[in-house]
Amino acid sequence: MLEVRNLAKRYGDVPALQELTVRVEAGQCLILLGRNGAGKTTALRCMAGVLVPSAGEVRVDGIDASDDPAGVRARVGLMPEVPGLYERMSARAYLDYFGAIYDIEPSVRRRRIGELLELFELSGAGDRWLGTFSKGMRQKVALIRATLHRPKLVLADEPTSALDPDSARRAWSYLQDLQKDGCALVICTHSMEEAEHLAGDIGIMSAGRALAVGNMVELRRESGLKVRQEVRELPTLQDIYLAIVGNHGGDRRELAETRTA
Amino acid sequence: MEAIAVSWPKLEQRKVALVARRDLRDAVSELRLIIAMVGLTLAIPIGVGSGVRAMALFGGGTAVVNRLSLVGAFFVVFIPASFSLVLALESFVGERERTTLEVLLSTPLREAEIYAGKIAAVLCVSLTLCYGGLIVYCLITFAGLGYFPVDILLALGLSTICQVAAMVAGAVIISLNARTMRAANVMASFIILPMSVVLQVEAALILLGRAEFLWCFALLMTVLAIVLLRMGFNGFSREALLARDVGLRHPLRRAIGAVRAGFAQRPGFLRLLWMRRIPMLIAAAGFPIGALAGFLAGSTSAVPPSVVRPVLSSLVRAAGDGGALETALAIFAHNLLAFLLVAVLAILTLGLSGFLLTFVPGFLLGFAAALSSWTIALTGIVPNGLVEIPAAIIAGGLLIQVGATAMHMDERGGWSARVLAALADYIRALRWLVPALAVAAVLEVWLG
Repeated sequence: MLEVRNLAKRYGDVPALQELTVRVEAGQCLILLGRNGAGKTTALRCMAGVLVPSAGEVRVDGIDASDDPAGVRARVGLMPEVPGLYERMSARAYLDYFGAIYDIEPSVRRRRIGELLELFELSGAGDRWLGTFSKGMRQKVALIRATLHRPKLVLADEPTSALDPDSARRAWSYLQDLQKDGCALVICTHSMEEAEHLAGDIGIMSAGRALAVGNMVELRRESGLKVRQEVRELPTLQDIYLAIVGNHGGDRRELAETRTA
Repeated sequence: MEAIAVSWPKLEQRKVALVARRDLRDAVSELRLIIAMVGLTLAIPIGVGSGVRAMALFGGGTAVVNRLSLVGAFFVVFIPASFSLVLALESFVGERERTTLEVLLSTPLREAEIYAGKIAAVLCVSLTLCYGGLIVYCLITFAGLGYFPVDILLALGLSTICQVAAMVAGAVIISLNARTMRAANVMASFIILPMSVVLQVEAALILLGRAEFLWCFALLMTVLAIVLLRMGFNGFSREALLARDVGLRHPLRRAIGAVRAGFAQRPGFLRLLWMRRIPMLIAAAGFPIGALAGFLAGSTSAVPPSVVRPVLSSLVRAAGDGGALETALAIFAHNLLAFLLVAVLAILTLGLSGFLLTFVPGFLLGFAAALSSWTIALTGIVPNGLVEIPAAIIAGGLLIQVGATAMHMDERGGWSARVLAALADYIRALRWLVPALAVAAVLEVWLG
């Protein structure tokens, strides 16, 4: 579904992303971990056909993002870190607007909007202006917007960072349902819990590079950690992340940031 | 000159209408804003129109009342037209700041569809207010006045559309360089200042009461609006709007680095002349075109001699009335000042100042010829003109290139670097042009 080969992106003289190669099949999930500025958001934007790569190749559903970026964007649902909602629009009108942009039939989009608002417990607030919504409610609307057109690939930047644990679990469950329907997911997060919950493959990024990409077993092997020293159990993703980033010269600030996320 | 591809983008009208409808709804969703805009739009024509009628009733004199009614019409459309800048800044920069633009850019919408939809929404609001105000004003002022200058009002209507479009396009260009509304409001001065000059010219033309001048002005505004809209479109790209704020620290060091880079690896003088042959040909054409225009203006009295004579006299006075050296220095300083002034104005006037560097002397020559004869007029510019005119053509051509570079927005960015390089070419060329001006001054004093 998503094939990224040697992807690189520069902003002027500054390399934001270098030599990223990943592959996500339909129904699979790739989690991208890394500190702020590691290149995750840039990677998502390139994968979504929003930014043109400086080098390398991005293919979504067989379409090259350089040849047909609009075609790629039509197949992708991008949920940026900041929800970016229109304050003076009701949730229902807002979602309807984006449904129309994605050419969803009016009757179909009304039905889907109703179902998804219900699923995320926003039915009662559907006709309120988005400016009155809480942070978590906004994030839910952003997630609905990104998935309303049933994209083949969902790219989400910290999709549950503002959600309470219950809502976060609901969101994870929704994303897993999409996965079961054949949707591929790429999710950037600082939450190790979220990563372990959703991941098939995990990419660990630092300074625009993917330090390691693989499933938990492969990453465990790469990290050199076999069992957790103190409690004699398999190392968690948090342990693996710290070990890999530490091996590649990641600084203490990065470790602290990831621990607290 | 770099090739500039001129092609208009494909648009899906339904998508443009979708974006426009949403923006329109957003623009009119704030009741206080709407009340203020509609209130001003109605209050001004009612007030001004009533004033004109009162003057007509109390014997203000037909000529004065008629002129005043035209100025009133200009005043009535000016205020709502200025709303367009605020609305456009909000629509482009506001959305960028609130990151709603990023979401829109991640959809299958083309940049052109977003751009056209947003511009249509702003134009719709502004022009509705402008024309609404104008209609109210016309109904109050001209009904029963016995005077209805339809040609002038139509020209005013067309130039208003273009002024609004130019301000909106200017706001888009600002949005590419401003990430916050605060920065955008400061940068809006770059639109407000030139626009205020444009409005003063328009007001003067209205006072003249000559419809043909106003139509020419409207035509110029149309060209300007098309150029600016095209610039805005070229610059309105996902790449430019979503590029990260990386490497933005140490602004002074970066600015020095950019200026150095602008001067690095520029072509030599002769190679530069060859590379810029097309803008130089345009600048060269400015002289005979100016001469012809000046001659026609002088011989048909389209421009009264009383307007041009003081200019010619001031040029003579500028040469000074002291010794030969002092006169030469004055001529040299005058010409050098002209070369520097047009350079400063080159970006703001999109290269027009470069064209004027040859057009204006040509116009004055032609006008002088119309008042006397070509022989007498030409003796005034020989032999110094043989050096001055080629220098003006080179300088004018390089400044036209600066203007062309300034109006060429590229979706990959790099506008500042290109403009700096074009300015660097001009500054480097001054090493040859300044001595040429000195030689011309010497020739004028000792051989002229």
